[in-house]
Amino acid sequence: MLKKRVIFTLLYDSGSFMLSRNFRLQKVGDIQWLKKNYNFSKLSFSIDEIVLLDVSRKNRDVEKFLDHVRIISELCFIPISAGGGICDVKYAHNLINNGADKIVINSLFGNNVDTINNIVSELGSQCIVASVDVKKVKNDFKVYTENGTLLQNFSLQEWLNKLEKVPVGEVYLNSIDKDGTGQGYQKELIENIPNEFQLPVIIAGGAGKYQHFMEGLEEKKIDAVATANLFNFLGSSLEDSRVALLKEGFNLAQWDVNISETIKGCFSATENIIYKK
Amino acid sequence: MKVPLVTLVDYGAGNLLSVVSAIEYLGAKVEIISDPQRIAESSVLVLPGVGSFKKGMEAIKGSSIDKSILYAVKSNNAKILGICMGMQLMGSYGTEDGGAKGLGLISNRVERFNKAEINGNKLPHVGFNTVNFSERKGLFKGLPKSSDFYFTHSYRMLVNDIDGRYATCQYGKDFLAAFQVNNIYGTQFHPEKSQTNGLILLRNFLRD
Repeated sequence: MLKKRVIFTLLYDSGSFMLSRNFRLQKVGDIQWLKKNYNFSKLSFSIDEIVLLDVSRKNRDVEKFLDHVRIISELCFIPISAGGGICDVKYAHNLINNGADKIVINSLFGNNVDTINNIVSELGSQCIVASVDVKKVKNDFKVYTENGTLLQNFSLQEWLNKLEKVPVGEVYLNSIDKDGTGQGYQKELIENIPNEFQLPVIIAGGAGKYQHFMEGLEEKKIDAVATANLFNFLGSSLEDSRVALLKEGFNLAQWDVNISETIKGCFSATENIIYKK
Repeated sequence: MKVPLVTLVDYGAGNLLSVVSAIEYLGAKVEIISDPQRIAESSVLVLPGVGSFKKGMEAIKGSSIDKSILYAVKSNNAKILGICMGMQLMGSYGTEDGGAKGLGLISNRVERFNKAEINGNKLPHVGFNTVNFSERKGLFKGLPKSSDFYFTHSYRMLVNDIDGRYATCQYGKDFLAAFQVNNIYGTQFHPEKSQTNGLILLRNFLRD
């Protein structure tokens, strides 16, 4: 039986990793900070997948982002989905060649479905994650693109129905209202996913503690829970979350986290050869 | 312990970085090689692969890498690990895109999961799933009898005729998740994307 997943999302803007609240960004640290203070390569043994998004608000430097995708991919042994600003097949390929396993599209679904079809025919539908940013407007959930700035004239349900007709592999559903609040996922949003919806759904926006992961994973319609909260899951919090979720009997993949240090460099002939990263 | 030197066969198949990172994490050395002569002379080979079986075989044949692999494995007793489509390419035949012959290192055929057998499950089969080992030796040493690995594929081999160690995964019906027949190893899953389970398995391959 396929496992459910806990996903860590990294938001990237012009060389820095960001904390986001209702899509307003605050700089936290660069790649060195992530490696050292966040002990990223150790942390990655407590999650199932990484989503890495270039949410640069201006002057997007794609080469620099590709470098970051590569560095992150060298630090962990799990699938990576990368995206932000993808508008052609070539860039999608570049992300894959730099260590991404899947690519994440968002605004492209609003402006150019043909390009998505071209990407799918080259990389396969399993490679495409459709990110959908949603905000409650009056009593309706509306879809926004362009980093949450452009209101699309569609409700969530209409958008999801449209998405099912494009060969994408899964959906990353993010609540702009709950983003970065740490108050928990937006339950109403999950209720708004049509019952017969066929694609796997990742829920994002609002997770602040592991109980929120539980609330998400308990939902039948939810295949994966994500958090982009760099502060709430500092220290051993993600590690503890995973232990707690497994103890509660959630259907997550299991592996021995502790052996990672033992087998690191196990073939090194002398102690002078240290794992280079 | 001797430091293994791995030849990662480069025939233009997608992302090789993760495999390199995993091998280096273990402290082994790895070179990405496309030169058929050097592939033929290698003693430890890893054959990666994503994309279509037919295109993969065309690329391998077009650069004569097929002959080098067969020479290294059959005449020089090199060990080889095929990953994902790399494992499939070691089979006798793949039906994808109108069909093509494989390297024939094992006799199994590669066919698409059919709707009846997957029993309402979605295709492609993507994500961590549980793998059951026939025995906990060789490639599968040091892992619990049921262990989780990361898959992403729509085509599979069945377990028929594997004369060696094997592992299965259930997706509706059991399919071949991994095998070890003498010096020939294959995993349908991605060990380089399967956390410590995958790292242990790669260590076993290199140490075996």
